[in-house]
Amino acid sequence: MSEEPPGLKLSPKVLLIDPVRMLPSLLVPLVGVLFVGGFSSRSFGWAAVGVVGAVVFAVVRWATFSYRVADDRLEIKRSLVSRSVRTIPLERIRGVDVTTPPMHRLLGLAVLKIDTGASGGGEQEGELDGVTVEEAERLKGVLLRRARAARAEDPQSAHDALPDAPPAPPEERVIVKVPRRWLLYGPLSGSYLLTPFALAGGAIGLAFQWGDDLGFRDLAWDASQWLWQHPLHIAGAILVLVLAMPFFAAVMYTVFNWDFTLKEREGYLVAERGLITRRSVSLEARRIRGYEIVDAIAERKAGVVRTWAIVTGLGDSETRGQLLPDVPRPLALDVAAQAVGTFAAPLRPHPPVARDRRLFRAIAPALAVAVAAALLGVLTSTGLWWALVVAALVVAGLGIPLGHDRYRSLGHGYDGVLLSVRSGSLRRAQAVVERRAIVGWRLRQTWFQRRAGVLTLIAGVGAGKGGYEAVDVSAEQAVGFPAEVTPEWLAPFLRTPD
Amino acid sequence: MGKPARPSKLGSVSEPPGPVAGSLRDPEHRVSPKAVRLWLLEALIAFVIFAGGSFGLAAWIPSWSWLPEWLSGNSWLVPVVVLVPGTPLLLIEPFVRYAVHRWELSGDVVYARSGFLTREWVFVPVSRIQTVDKAQGWLERMLGLATLEIRTASHAGSSTIKGLDYTIAAGLAERLAHRAEELRDDAT
Repeated sequence: MSEEPPGLKLSPKVLLIDPVRMLPSLLVPLVGVLFVGGFSSRSFGWAAVGVVGAVVFAVVRWATFSYRVADDRLEIKRSLVSRSVRTIPLERIRGVDVTTPPMHRLLGLAVLKIDTGASGGGEQEGELDGVTVEEAERLKGVLLRRARAARAEDPQSAHDALPDAPPAPPEERVIVKVPRRWLLYGPLSGSYLLTPFALAGGAIGLAFQWGDDLGFRDLAWDASQWLWQHPLHIAGAILVLVLAMPFFAAVMYTVFNWDFTLKEREGYLVAERGLITRRSVSLEARRIRGYEIVDAIAERKAGVVRTWAIVTGLGDSETRGQLLPDVPRPLALDVAAQAVGTFAAPLRPHPPVARDRRLFRAIAPALAVAVAAALLGVLTSTGLWWALVVAALVVAGLGIPLGHDRYRSLGHGYDGVLLSVRSGSLRRAQAVVERRAIVGWRLRQTWFQRRAGVLTLIAGVGAGKGGYEAVDVSAEQAVGFPAEVTPEWLAPFLRTPD
Repeated sequence: MGKPARPSKLGSVSEPPGPVAGSLRDPEHRVSPKAVRLWLLEALIAFVIFAGGSFGLAAWIPSWSWLPEWLSGNSWLVPVVVLVPGTPLLLIEPFVRYAVHRWELSGDVVYARSGFLTREWVFVPVSRIQTVDKAQGWLERMLGLATLEIRTASHAGSSTIKGLDYTIAAGLAERLAHRAEELRDDAT
């Protein structure tokens, strides 16, 4: 292992991608040059210089970039302007993500991202943008295997690393391949529902921002004025957008979660997904400390849930930690049980005063709006205020079932190994975490909670979001639960019965 | 909101707030008495800023033409609204905080209580501590106080103890760092 392997280069095919990728940022200056030059041959000459410059820059960057795996580290060398060598010790590597954006896929290339669990943004992570797919798979195998071997030499973690696996066959087991018809569950989650509005907003913004340059600003302005004078058209447009919501949500969801496959490979869980950009995320199995199961109201009715893994030292865990998209609950629980274990205890309800608080919060704001609007209605005798009163009263009425459901969601439990907390209604989330992942407890009590005699108990976990809350537990539960899960931590501070 | 289960403890300054969380006892040590001065100074600075801002706003509002007459004509209400609830809070806060803020290190667990309107109890086992920092702002340096920041892998499992006497904070930081080194069991 002591011979120094030569530095490897990215695939030259990446040169086909780089200039294309630079185009959007070059477009404005290029168009500007052409306009300023009045489309003279000189201006075309300058624009050509710009394009050639971009290509040359890409070539030089490619030629001066190299990487290699040497001994126990990965070195990424850049010498474009100044020489820089980024060294990533293999033992620090926690996961390797392989993504293939559309252009990369066309050329058989991939982007390899190395996750070191460093919290300082992207600073300490490594990225190889434009290796061939085969090289990406090879490197991923080498890095992950060596990373584990390097850790195994470290006596502290030797006991939980696997015994020296022969590097020969990368055994792989598909845990779940989500059938395509389950993609139909996607819009139930409520995510991406606002896509049409975001798209329309973006288009309008662009029209005004770029309209100036491209000479149709007046046109856009006239169009918006005309629309303003025909409110029925605006209402129609909004209606179309609303009707488009589930459709767009389904499309977006399909694009991101196409052929979601969860595999197990040499101590890693690998999640692959995506239609246009295919993404593969590797989570080290022994770093998984728990899971979180999320369902919105519509998903609950359909019996489907989304699942995230709670992993130590995983940045951007919201997108990278996803174990499963929308799948039927029993399957999700089964997969979670394989990764973490089965949570085998009932959730304990929170005291009834928690229900009052949920109801108050769900109803009071809308009710306050209704009262204020009614007051204004009386003062100004304008019919519009009364419409607002009715709308606010409807929202307040909906708050009653919402508050009750939010109370029903509340719960916490412990089965000797795993503990769990649950809350939320429109988006209900249940976290299940191993006891050994707990690094501390926090009790919080606002002034209102003190008057109601309840507290929020937060389990500090060195993974995932960092803290998982049991909202509005009684005083007995707030002390009793930590004392039950980690008795040795609480014992010194409990009042001894006299 | 539910019926008040117990009378508000806000007014009773002399008596330390009771064990709201059932059978939990109070942490053993109070913070330094000088912390009262620290909180008073901090509250005073905030008070001056808010009072100044509210008077400034009151002087400025009458020139806003788009406000209806009955609003812009009564701009003196702004400082009243700010100062009437603000003044008693300013006077009470340091003493309530001194009564609430307590800490203890027992059985290799740090137990700390803090807060004013919102109270917090934190339990951090020394074995899970990653770093122990002591920090001093310029007010704290003036008063010979320090803040101890005990960090674990989770923000919810981390603790900040404010208003400690500098020598006590330094000694505690030293002790915690030393003991954490001994106990180091890497659960995360």
